[in-house]
Amino acid sequence: MSYSTGNIKKLLGPTSILLAIGIIVLIILMSTSFYIVDQTEEAVVTRFGKYLTTNGPGMHYKLPFGIDKHYLVKTKVVQTEQFGFRTLKAGVNTVYSQEAFPEESTMLTGDLNIVDVEWIIQYRIVDPRAWLFNVNPKERTTTIRDVSRSVMNMLVGDRAILDVMGPQRTEIESEAIQLMNDTFKQYGLGISVITVKLQNIVPPQGVQAAFEDVNKAIQDMNRLINEGKEAYNAEIPKAQGEADKIIQIAQGYASERVNMARGDVARFNAVYEEYRKAPDVTRRRLYYEMVENIFKDDKGTTLIDRRFQNFLPLKNLDTRGGVQ
Amino acid sequence: MRSLITTLIIIVVLGIAFLLAGPFYTIEEGEQAVVVQLGKIVAVHTNAGLHIKTPFLDDVVKYPRRIMAWDGEPQRIPTKENQFIWVDTTARWKIADPRKFYESIQTMEATYSRLDDIIDSAVRTVIAENWLRETVRNSNRIRQNKAEEIENFELGSEQDAGQLSAFTRSDVTYEVVQKGRRKLAEEILQRARQTVPEYGIELIDVVPRQINYSDELTQSVYNRMIKERNQIAQAFRSYGEGKKAEWQGKLENERRAILSAAYEKAEKIKGEADAEATRIYAQAYSRDPEFFDFWRSIESYKTTMPQFSKTLSTDMDYFKYLYSPRGR
Repeated sequence: MSYSTGNIKKLLGPTSILLAIGIIVLIILMSTSFYIVDQTEEAVVTRFGKYLTTNGPGMHYKLPFGIDKHYLVKTKVVQTEQFGFRTLKAGVNTVYSQEAFPEESTMLTGDLNIVDVEWIIQYRIVDPRAWLFNVNPKERTTTIRDVSRSVMNMLVGDRAILDVMGPQRTEIESEAIQLMNDTFKQYGLGISVITVKLQNIVPPQGVQAAFEDVNKAIQDMNRLINEGKEAYNAEIPKAQGEADKIIQIAQGYASERVNMARGDVARFNAVYEEYRKAPDVTRRRLYYEMVENIFKDDKGTTLIDRRFQNFLPLKNLDTRGGVQ
Repeated sequence: MRSLITTLIIIVVLGIAFLLAGPFYTIEEGEQAVVVQLGKIVAVHTNAGLHIKTPFLDDVVKYPRRIMAWDGEPQRIPTKENQFIWVDTTARWKIADPRKFYESIQTMEATYSRLDDIIDSAVRTVIAENWLRETVRNSNRIRQNKAEEIENFELGSEQDAGQLSAFTRSDVTYEVVQKGRRKLAEEILQRARQTVPEYGIELIDVVPRQINYSDELTQSVYNRMIKERNQIAQAFRSYGEGKKAEWQGKLENERRAILSAAYEKAEKIKGEADAEATRIYAQAYSRDPEFFDFWRSIESYKTTMPQFSKTLSTDMDYFKYLYSPRGR
């Protein structure tokens, strides 16, 4: 009992208390004197609130008890802001928010039309000291977003809607980087915009159908033109064939006509050669042959005696024959 | 020994108490402070670091030295041509003179409501004094870009594009912008800046973040946009119809040309053949026209006679032996 009391007394003795205080102080000292800066970061150190230095990655020493304070700033990390849309979950199949943000994306174009523009910006903190102390920390993101929106509104407002949707996208992107960086430099925000990428640029919901109809109209136009060509192609080669046919027939006729003439003449000449040797006999023969040829198969021919003078022969015009 | 320790402890405790009550205080980077002694401003510190004050008497009021944002409510403002638009503006500001700021406003909340009044009124005035185009556009570049409209469409051929652009190009000459958006923002800023120095505030910029048509106007703009597209779509369709008709015409034209050319050629060939045949016949038959006459006649009788219904008289030469062996 007395031993333990003595022990407690000894423990509560001045030396031990001092020792305890000393150890506690040492622990606090140690824990507030060293800090580690990650590879992606830089540390800004202030002494009594005043900027002292900026340190790179590694372990560093500072004065304890809040005399020196350090702020870690991710200077190597590229940060992204999205406008007009939000990524809910990034991944292999990135999920985007179904919600629209018309208050960000709806803009007026230079030809006083309305267009929906979605875009992203990517930036990096290049001056951690400026980043920490020049702009209200709660409003840094708002400031970046406000400037980005204002610049995009201005650039879109300077162009016609079709230019914004098509050919001038890259121009807008590069000008936006320039203008945003100018503004951020003016504020001393300590960031540098690396990328501005335009995403979807579409006409507003209510007029999309009309815009699509123009594309349909182009398809219709091409269809109609092709229909015309089709009809042409269906007829003209055929007509050319028909033309060939007409000419071929004519040529056939020509050959026939000439050949027949030649044949007739050859026959005539041959007969004529023989006729010249015995004209009278041949002439008679030819005559008789002709009559014979005509009448030999003929049955309905009426023959009238030449002596029947003033006699009107009755001829039945009916095919059945006989007098009624 | 014991008394030494007691003294030491007392000194430490007193020291801590002294340090806690002042006279030291720090101003962080991005802060500034006004030192008020019994209601009177005795010092203004704008640089960060360790500072000394009179304990118990001095009150240190800290303000941010950083740039602050101001975000206004969108306002519905008529432009010079009396079209209502929504204008959403934001501004950047900072406390430039902490002394004046302490005297006139004191709290940050009060500042925002002052800024609301000042900036909103400046925005309203400047927007209402200018045409809509001045607010929307920044420069006159749109006037140089406009001829490209047709090139935005995928068309089949170069030639079609040339002919179509005459129809689809909406020949709007955009009116010249005198000032532009940046200049207007600058004007708003100047106007707002006239009053803020009294409050110890410096306005850094005022920018329109978004400009939008009022709801009624939006609907009519939609209608206009739809009509504009319809007009272009119509041009494409009608151009297609026209081209089709053109092809049909071409078809008819060429078909007739081809067939009639063939007819011409065919008749020519036939004519030449007829001529040739005539020449051949004439050459042969003219050797003995009398025999030809006979020959051709009996040849002809052979083909034509069978078709007649015949009643013959025995008067024919053929029958001359019918009555007598010596003929006739």
